[in-house]
Amino acid sequence: MKSFACFCAVAVSAVLLVICQIAVITLTPVEAVMGPVQKIFYVHLPLAWWSLVSFGVTATAGLVYLKRRDAASDRLAHAAAETGLVLNTLALVTGSIWARRSWGVWWTWDPRLTTALVLWFLYAGYLVLRRVDMPAPRRSAACAVMGILAFIDVPLVFLSARLWRSIHPAVFASKGGGLEPEMLTGVLLSVGAFGVFWLLLLYWRTRIFTLSDELDRKKAQCTDNR
Amino acid sequence: MLKAACIIASKDIRLVMVRGGAWVQSLLLGLLLVFVFSLSLPAGETASPQTAATLFWLASAFCQVLAFAMLYALEEPTNARAGLMLAPIPVQAVWLGKAMAGMGLILASQAVFFPALVVFLGQHVSGGVWFFLAGLLLADAGMAGLGALVGAVAPGQAARESLLSVIVFPLLIPLLLAGIRLGEAAFGGPPAGLFRWLGIAAAFDAVFLGAAVLLFPFVFGEPQ
Repeated sequence: MKSFACFCAVAVSAVLLVICQIAVITLTPVEAVMGPVQKIFYVHLPLAWWSLVSFGVTATAGLVYLKRRDAASDRLAHAAAETGLVLNTLALVTGSIWARRSWGVWWTWDPRLTTALVLWFLYAGYLVLRRVDMPAPRRSAACAVMGILAFIDVPLVFLSARLWRSIHPAVFASKGGGLEPEMLTGVLLSVGAFGVFWLLLLYWRTRIFTLSDELDRKKAQCTDNR
Repeated sequence: MLKAACIIASKDIRLVMVRGGAWVQSLLLGLLLVFVFSLSLPAGETASPQTAATLFWLASAFCQVLAFAMLYALEEPTNARAGLMLAPIPVQAVWLGKAMAGMGLILASQAVFFPALVVFLGQHVSGGVWFFLAGLLLADAGMAGLGALVGAVAPGQAARESLLSVIVFPLLIPLLLAGIRLGEAAFGGPPAGLFRWLGIAAAFDAVFLGAAVLLFPFVFGEPQ
């Protein structure tokens, strides 16, 4: 029953991603200045947003872990950090391709780009901490604290980077910038489809950690029985 | 709590000064950084104020990592950490004591780095000194508070300095940017927006010092 539910979830996610890509190709207009390359935006934006949500889940699960000391929150925080880092890496790569076409450079100083890169470093550091050899409760507490610190640093990084200088386009600005209605539909579809995909990734990664912990526990039991 | 923190800070400072080696290492590392960079400048040319300020804060950040790795390593050989945990004081007093000791070491190192920048990179102090001093105190307080929190994560680790660098440097970015802009002003850089940078440094301190007070018991209280 469980494997059937998994199969259904994968099928739904795959169908949603295909529908979203078809909509992006056929429904959304080609941007006048950048041409077809602009369509990378429909992948880049959901990746960036869901990576940020993932990091938020890491911080929240970290808080819950510090309060309750339950292994499930710890595993969720770990899985969300890994998932977020993968999505963040892809967002950086797609953003870099966009930057090359739009601004003529692979990288430039911009609040959103800089914030995304700093997040990448922060959560790469978080995953390094996850691998450090120390007693499990101590490591989990340290990682929970790190997950919280990393997330509360985000607004400060963004503000300081914006004060330094900025050239990123305003996607949902109240004045200037903004999207055509067809583009907005494409964006919302992409965000939805990638959201389901993200949820699936997060569930699977958490499940793998749960099974791995269970295996370790049974191994330890076997060793004790001998 | 303040009295206990002062006792811990003075104990740490005395131990560091008696043993000496590790703090001298961080001083030498900062000075080497400034000196080696000065070799990249063509003869007779001086570095821009922004470059000089960046080097100053880079040297300070390295010094911070080494200082806090050293401060928490003081308790390792005799397992005195257990003594600190069992002492009838709030656990936050340990954090505050370490932060005060660390801030003292960072300030002392910066007192050496600053003249080195003037000499090796040909800088002149030409304005915005009060902004620089205010920024220095705010940035050092933030670095010390964060270093004292994150430093408690690493004791007992073989590569604690590199682990601390990987964790602390990305967190420090807003503070370093503020420090660089305010330092640049002291070396004759543009004076625009300095109050906003002071605001960023103050916000960083408020957020991270508050978080450190709440979170420190979770990292220090766990058995090693």
